[in-house]
Amino acid sequence: MATLDELMKLPGAMAAFEFRGSGELLEQRIAYPERINESTLDLLAHMCAANMCIATMQARGWEKVTHMKGFYPIQECTLIGFDWSVVVSGLDRERLKDKDRGKTSLPPFTGVVLANEKADYEAAFATMENPESTP
Amino acid sequence: MSMIRRILALDGVNVVCHFRDDGYLLEGYGLMARDDMARLAQFAHDYRRMAQGNADQLAMFTGMRGWTPPHGWILRGITQSVCSIGNLVCLVSNADALLNEIMLELREVSHW
Repeated sequence: MATLDELMKLPGAMAAFEFRGSGELLEQRIAYPERINESTLDLLAHMCAANMCIATMQARGWEKVTHMKGFYPIQECTLIGFDWSVVVSGLDRERLKDKDRGKTSLPPFTGVVLANEKADYEAAFATMENPESTP
Repeated sequence: MSMIRRILALDGVNVVCHFRDDGYLLEGYGLMARDDMARLAQFAHDYRRMAQGNADQLAMFTGMRGWTPPHGWILRGITQSVCSIGNLVCLVSNADALLNEIMLELREVSHW
């Protein structure tokens, strides 16, 4: 699993966080507390959980209707806002599901907030997908 | 030649569609049936509305500027991703795609 400290090394990283599927914020790192605080991250985590759920439903439906593969499950979900972006990964959950089906306690989602002017989405995905850091 | 066709020339891009503000497909290019392009356009439109609404509420509840209006989104599946900026959406293969370049190009073309 990409650690929050690794995510904070990404270009333009403002904050990194972990949250449950329900949206509950578990842990965070904040580079610029005057711009983003824990309370904002908490609501952002809830928003990301909602977006991820809807995207997963749409990917499921898309594969069923079109018979195309490779969309489900959604691994990462990115919202590009006006000045900030948030990249969220549920990849560790999917890896664990594959390893131990039926396990009820899944690892958290991880997310990183990036300033758009420096955002490197490929680097964010690569950090989150790094197989060497799988638990 | 349509301007959005140049997005199709980028590595990993398999399909690109331009849709109206109500989700209706205006034009689409790439390896996909027209019916599926219409579905892709509608899906992109629906996801954008949902994401935009959630970002609006985030901004309202937190008072944090810089989230709205959102420019776009990326959904990354196991081997395929869907990227959108404005009224453009494209479907890309993860293995070949240079996502940063694709997002820059989508942003530029969406302003035309």
